[in-house]
Amino acid sequence: MPTSAPPPNKEKPIKPDQILKELGELWTNMGKPQAADPGADSHDGGVLRACAMTLISFVDDEEDAMELGNTIAGLMKEHPSRSVVVRLKEGEGFLDARVFAQCWMPFGNRRQICCEQVEITASMNRLADVAAIVGPLAVPDLPRVILLRSARLVRAGALRKVLGLGDKIVVDSARPGAPGFGELGGLLDAGHITGDLAWTRITELRSLIAQLLDDHTPKTITIDYAGREAGPEARYIEAWLESSLPSTQIALQGDGSAASGNPTLITVDDKLKVYLKEGGGCVEYEMDGWRQRASMAKGTEEELLNAELAIVIHDNVFERALNRITA
Amino acid sequence: MQNHWAERAVRVTVTLMSQETTLQDPLRFHRKSPPCAVVIYGANGDLTKRKLMPALYRLAFEGRLAPGFAVIGVSRTAMSHDDFRDKMYESVKKFLEDSPFDEELWKSFAQGVFYQAGDVGDAESYKDLAKCLTTVEESRKTEDNVLFYLSTQPSQYAEIAEGLAGAGLNKGKGWRRIVIEKPFGHDLTSAGELNGRLQKCFNESEIYRIDHYLGKETVQNIMAFRFGNGIFEPLWNRTYIDNVQITAAESIGVEGRGAYYQEAGALRDMIQNHLLQVMATVAMEPASSFTSDAVRDERAKLLRAIRIMRPEQVPDNSVAGQYGPGRTGSQPLQGFLSEKGVSPDSQTNTYAAVTFLVDNWRWAGVPFYIRTGKAMPKRVSEIAINFRTAPLAMFRKATAGAEALPNMLILRIQPEEGISLRFASKRPGSGMQLRPVSMDFNYGSSFGERSPAAYETLLLDAITGDATLYTRQDMVEASWNAVMPILDYWSTQKFNFPNYAAGTWGPPESDEMLARWGHTWRKP
Repeated sequence: MPTSAPPPNKEKPIKPDQILKELGELWTNMGKPQAADPGADSHDGGVLRACAMTLISFVDDEEDAMELGNTIAGLMKEHPSRSVVVRLKEGEGFLDARVFAQCWMPFGNRRQICCEQVEITASMNRLADVAAIVGPLAVPDLPRVILLRSARLVRAGALRKVLGLGDKIVVDSARPGAPGFGELGGLLDAGHITGDLAWTRITELRSLIAQLLDDHTPKTITIDYAGREAGPEARYIEAWLESSLPSTQIALQGDGSAASGNPTLITVDDKLKVYLKEGGGCVEYEMDGWRQRASMAKGTEEELLNAELAIVIHDNVFERALNRITA
Repeated sequence: MQNHWAERAVRVTVTLMSQETTLQDPLRFHRKSPPCAVVIYGANGDLTKRKLMPALYRLAFEGRLAPGFAVIGVSRTAMSHDDFRDKMYESVKKFLEDSPFDEELWKSFAQGVFYQAGDVGDAESYKDLAKCLTTVEESRKTEDNVLFYLSTQPSQYAEIAEGLAGAGLNKGKGWRRIVIEKPFGHDLTSAGELNGRLQKCFNESEIYRIDHYLGKETVQNIMAFRFGNGIFEPLWNRTYIDNVQITAAESIGVEGRGAYYQEAGALRDMIQNHLLQVMATVAMEPASSFTSDAVRDERAKLLRAIRIMRPEQVPDNSVAGQYGPGRTGSQPLQGFLSEKGVSPDSQTNTYAAVTFLVDNWRWAGVPFYIRTGKAMPKRVSEIAINFRTAPLAMFRKATAGAEALPNMLILRIQPEEGISLRFASKRPGSGMQLRPVSMDFNYGSSFGERSPAAYETLLLDAITGDATLYTRQDMVEASWNAVMPILDYWSTQKFNFPNYAAGTWGPPESDEMLARWGHTWRKP
């Protein structure tokens, strides 16, 4: 239930101090007993302020605000944050900001949990201003993570302007218009901690394969995918296996269809077959004539981001796979 | 700039160290669990239905179990594998908490569920189990690793262990472990006898004594709080802490378990095991590493340091209580003596409060008050650390006594897991008026992530061979040692029960026990 402060006048300059003041006022107001409930015990009600990081999301203005809002609200339960959403739009000279809080009442509790949100809408030519505003808004001493969903930002080659704002940059290379392996490799080379949701999406599958293979080193592994070109997930699986099992022959083969290149089957020495379902949820595997089912997360963006936000250090295994792809 | 280079240096180092080729990804993968068969004795019982099978299914749902995994239920009732699977299907669906049920996954999981009828007193039944295990090992590839879980009457623990040993099931190509539930004996002597019989069949390192309290997320969080932060440990001693209060209150009565409870009582049922383990976690010295033996050594050391009361000290340092009729909330509650299966002149304690002292340098002179009871005003488990007051009361005149309220740190175990700190703050306005305020960290809601149930944590630990959260023989015996003088003294007394009304915080003698030290119980 967002609690909005009135949006500031467009003509007014946007100052970080002013936004922080509005955030402070927002908390003060939320902490007051509700007028509709004058008898409420102030110790029982109220809100709880929680913050473990600053999450800065760059999105295109056309993106569904409701969907993004729901995803960010979902993240707050596991990663309570100050969220700054930067909506980038076409045109020139536009810059606006508003603050609000996203609250929810955990089941069985009497107190709401609230996280503060700042939404900045800016045209591309105001990116420098955005950086100057967002920087001071970050919560001191806590990690700052950038979620990069804006294809506009990538197309304009303006990544560099915002990268300094975050300790970690998270992208989804499987999203249309998202940074590809080239850009990701560039970020790595520049020393940034980087995450790719396409890699996060295959964590459970990788874990299952590691468990099934145990300590055995197979001779060949074939990754089948649906499509003419392998998608990021199939490429990551190949790179991970190549970098982990250097003496194993790894092959990637598509079915030539018009599909998006997602992996469909992994075959290990003709002894183990792992069948992947479109849409996630589970996989089936066949080992020595024994067919089993394993539960997998659906891989919603919220689930993936929850996993990715928990890691704000260099991820060696990921970087090794990415380096292999970009080499 | 300096930070940037430091980060680069770390990255290079890590990369160089990880040149070994492996499919493992410790940063992202859950810990690996080995293939195994879990044999549950008492497979038809409540614990299996309500806790064990839902926990195992949930572990399968999360992909935490190895592909080579099987469950073999053992009990007296004749039943086919399919009958047992059907029963467990209903139980898991009914008792699975905070988790979706996946029919397809169940079908796959159920392929590894088997049943073996057998009487624990019949030597043949263990031979039948051995045959069943061989078949299961071949079909499920469990690598001959077996975890025996005894969810039976405690009086059967030793008999089952001996039966398993008699059939050679205590040894194999793979590992063997045996899990038993509390109570571990009903006094020091019987605990020693039980340990002796178990250890003739299994090595101590193969015996897992489960205390589900230690599997609770917040109890584990006490260690994270104490040893993962630098700011609390320097204050964690007699210089700064005045007293510690550990409370485990239930708002319900014995609810049909009167016959069992009559044999146990609150002191045996809660304090001897759960609450002394919690106290050990709160008060132990930091372990040199977070490994099973290092942590358990420190817990055991603390338990051994608890001062053993002399008989004449027991009346001043312990209180027994039994609830009479009363109300919890708006609900009338009958007294303990009216419960089914309870003798009308029962001397069973449904409330127990004890003052423990710890004879070591860190805690000398600091009382640890532990209380537990049935039919209390609310269900709550918590640890309250009461700090000493500021050495100089410079705001006394302007504070109407508020300044005298010492800082208090509350570690809440249930129902709302979390931590809060009470401290003094200036009231807004002119003048220097202080008032106590509370700073809250709510564990469950600050992180919306589902916390694993205690049995999920503990079963997975036993399967992976991590005994950190399990109690060891020396810990069991040390905690019996601490409560035996109280049990012995109480057994010679004729109490005037009931001595507290249901829905109250226990008998007045409990308040008097603290008043002797100049303290009062916290009202949670």
